[in-house]
Amino acid sequence: MLYDLRHSDLRVRWLVTLLLATLGTSYLFGAWMVGLYAGFSTTKVAETYGAAGEAMMMQMPPETTMVTERPVSMAEMGEEQHHVDINLLVQDTHVHMPMYAVIAAVLSVIVLGLAVSRGVGLAIIALLFAAPWLDFAGMWLTKLVAPGFAIVTLAGGWAMALGYTIVAALATYQMWWRKT
Amino acid sequence: MKSLLIGAVAAALLHITPTVILVKRQDAVAHLLPGADQFAARELHLSSADSKQLHDAVGWEPPDGVVTFYVGKHQDRVTGALIFMRVDCQHGPLELAIGFGPQGTIRGVEVTKATVEMKPWVLEALRAGLTDSYRGLTNDQAPAGAAKVKPQIGAMPGYMAELIDKGVMHGAAAYRLFFNRG
Repeated sequence: MLYDLRHSDLRVRWLVTLLLATLGTSYLFGAWMVGLYAGFSTTKVAETYGAAGEAMMMQMPPETTMVTERPVSMAEMGEEQHHVDINLLVQDTHVHMPMYAVIAAVLSVIVLGLAVSRGVGLAIIALLFAAPWLDFAGMWLTKLVAPGFAIVTLAGGWAMALGYTIVAALATYQMWWRKT
Repeated sequence: MKSLLIGAVAAALLHITPTVILVKRQDAVAHLLPGADQFAARELHLSSADSKQLHDAVGWEPPDGVVTFYVGKHQDRVTGALIFMRVDCQHGPLELAIGFGPQGTIRGVEVTKATVEMKPWVLEALRAGLTDSYRGLTNDQAPAGAAKVKPQIGAMPGYMAELIDKGVMHGAAAYRLFFNRG
C-alpha cells in the first residue's frame, strides 16, 4: 500500500468521498443518457453503432437511386433514430477516451490507498482501465465487423459500473468504518 | 476529416448550445399535412449520379445519401408530402419541416428545432412573417423570405432567415428532382 486511506488526514478522506459522490452522480446520468440514446440491449446498441441500413447505404451508394415506401404512424414520424456514424464515432472516441483515462487513473489512485492485497489491487486497476477499452472496442467492432460485438460495449459499460462500485464501496467502508 | 476536425474544434471553442424543440414534429405533420389520416415514409437512397445532380443544383446533398419524404394520404389519395431538413451553421443546427401540396407547391414551412442561442433570433425572423413568403412557391422558385424580412429585423435574425431560405431551397430541390421517382 503506497498510502493508507484508513488513517489519512480527514481532508483527504473528505476529498475522496466527495470525488466518489460526484463521479457516482455523473455515472447515474451517464446511464440515463445511454438509456435515451443507445439502450441497454445488444439489439439497441447494434442499431445505434452498427453499419446496417442507412449507414450501409451511405458507404455504398446504389448504382441507381432506390425508392422504398412503407407505412408509418404519426408517432414514428416524430421519432428520430439516434445513429452514430463513423465520423461521430471518431469524435466520440477522441473526446471520451482521455476523460475515461483520467477517471480510471483517479479511481486507481484511490485503490492504491486501500487495504487490499497487491493482486486484488492490480485486478481492480485492470478492470478500471479495461472498461473504457471494452466500451469503445465494442463500438468500433460493431461498426466495422459485426453487430454481435455490441455485447462487448455492454460488457464495457457494466465493467465501468462494477469498477466504480467496488472502489466506492471499499473506500467508503475503509475510510469511515474500518479503521484497523 | 478536415471538416470534422474543424467542427470539433469549433464546437469546443464556441460551445454550441443545446437543441430546443420549437414545434413538435407531430404538430408540424398535423399543420403541413392537414386532412391526412394515413402516412408513408418514401425513402430515396440516392445514386452517386443523383447526389451529384442535387449538389450541382443547390450545393447540397444528404450526408447519409438518403432523402426521406413523409407522404400524407386520405382514402388512398395523396394529400401532400413533407420533408424534414437540417441546416447547420457555426451556432448549431436548425431543423425545418417543409410541406408540399399534391401539386408540389410549398404548403408551409415550420422551424421545428434550433439551439438555445439561436431560438430568439429564429423567433424574431418568424414574427416578421418569414415563413409566409414560402407559401404557394412552386418547387423551382427560389425562396426569398430573408430579403423580405431583413429590413425589419436584426442582423442575426436576418442570418437565420437566410439559413431557413437555404433549407427550403434544398428541400424543394429534392422534391423537384426525386419525389416522383419510382
